[in-house]
Amino acid sequence: MTELSSPAIQFQNLSVSFDGIKVLENISAEIPAGSVTALVGPNGAGKTTALKVILNKVPFSGKVQFLSAEGQTVTPRFGYVPQVLDFDRGIPMTVIDFLVMPYQKKPLWLGRRRALIEKAEENLNLVEAAHLTRRPLGKLSGGELQRVLLASALSGNPNLLLLDEPVSGIDITGERLFCDLLESIHHRRHFTMVIVSHDLSVVTNHADHVICLNKTLICQGETAKILTPENLQAVFGHHIEVVRYPHPEKHKHE
Amino acid sequence: MNLYDYLYQAVGTLLPFEWAQSTFIIRAFIGLTLLSLLCGAIGIMVVNFRMAFFSDTISHSAFTGIALGLLFGLNPWVTLVIFGVIIGLGIIKVKRHTELSTDTVIGVFFSTVIALGIAIISARRGLSRDLQSYLFGDILTITEIELTAMILLFLLAVIYIWSTYNKLLMIGLHQDWAFSKGVNTTLYEYSFAALLAIVVTFSIRAVGLLLVTAMLILPAASARNIARNSGTLFWWSGALAFVSSLLWPIASLAWNIATGAAVILVASAIFFGTSLYNLARYRR
Repeated sequence: MTELSSPAIQFQNLSVSFDGIKVLENISAEIPAGSVTALVGPNGAGKTTALKVILNKVPFSGKVQFLSAEGQTVTPRFGYVPQVLDFDRGIPMTVIDFLVMPYQKKPLWLGRRRALIEKAEENLNLVEAAHLTRRPLGKLSGGELQRVLLASALSGNPNLLLLDEPVSGIDITGERLFCDLLESIHHRRHFTMVIVSHDLSVVTNHADHVICLNKTLICQGETAKILTPENLQAVFGHHIEVVRYPHPEKHKHE
Repeated sequence: MNLYDYLYQAVGTLLPFEWAQSTFIIRAFIGLTLLSLLCGAIGIMVVNFRMAFFSDTISHSAFTGIALGLLFGLNPWVTLVIFGVIIGLGIIKVKRHTELSTDTVIGVFFSTVIALGIAIISARRGLSRDLQSYLFGDILTITEIELTAMILLFLLAVIYIWSTYNKLLMIGLHQDWAFSKGVNTTLYEYSFAALLAIVVTFSIRAVGLLLVTAMLILPAASARNIARNSGTLFWWSGALAFVSSLLWPIASLAWNIATGAAVILVASAIFFGTSLYNLARYRR
């Protein structure tokens, strides 16, 4: 289990409003460095907004600090896997184009840099998607696309990986494969990971820290201690109990 | 002999046709070729960003831009470009600060600029006589000053496309994802809208305000039917736009039809041809 001590991200009195409607109110919370932290809550609880605050994509009041292990303010290297990449599937773009273009200054019509192709192939290998290299992006299945998005997020060698409902559009086999991959990569690279998820089975099996939101902060802490029926009742408004089964992949790493 | 004389001579030598021996046709040919190549390159992003309606709004804002120029005794081509850019940036500004859908925002601008143009023209009836060339385009009458402006625009756009192609592709794919990769989405959205507005207003000279959007989207849409990756998409779009501009003198001069219509009909024929090719490719 990861040592959950110094925070990588600190929210202090964070509030977000859109057109006068409060989406997040007075949140003070911490995301431990090296942890897998899940933002949990019902629809409209402000989970994705909190992720966008981390990405500095929405205006907010309060303070968000990114900290090093020594407690110094740092600029993180983000990796981001969006909820659904709602894109034009007719666009002629291969998986390798998609992975190379964020890092190449030269326009793609002048060719792709060899070193970037090799790095992209390395990341595709990491997410077990090496066979997708030349495939058109628009022809990928939901699970394949999520793995390519993960490979793209890993390309920048992030120390902070953000995932917004990463398994919401894929079937149970794809979900299992994706979560196990994440677990294995996290174990090797030790970055801080923040997952937005409404799927409590994913949270219970993969997150070691949770922040429960419903516009305000309901609770935060170690997953096993926090996801109690009382807290889940406070977050979701009805009785929920979670059962932890031993996860084979997790045991393998530990 | 000035620089242009050398250029006309060179193009005349390269094109050993009877029609290519008149200076005004060669000038039109160069202007149209530059605009076609530009539209081919920029059209890729117009299709990716689903900006066809945006481009239509800019071209229809020409009514007001021209009317304002004629009304205040200014060069209508200058007021047309300035007004087009203002409308383009205005659409992006409103779109970013409202919950309304993009097509609703553009629809509001579209109706407003047309109504404003008609209001000005109907109030000053004499103005309507001058509008025909803007409706259908009149590339054969371009002057050397206009050609110089087109060459400058072409160079500016080449530099812009060179430095932003990958980033614009990323934004077209997914804004938040592009932002997370460090792309300043706001800057590129505004700058692309401004460039597109300038290209659209210049292209009105070539094919008229009714057909400008077709000049932008047809080569890019045809290229999508053939290209297999984002690099070849660019070359196909440029090449097909070039072919359309190369074939217009034959179509236009042989059958005596309007230049703009000839260019677009050639581009349409290419689109349907490539669509059939695409269909056959996926049936195999």
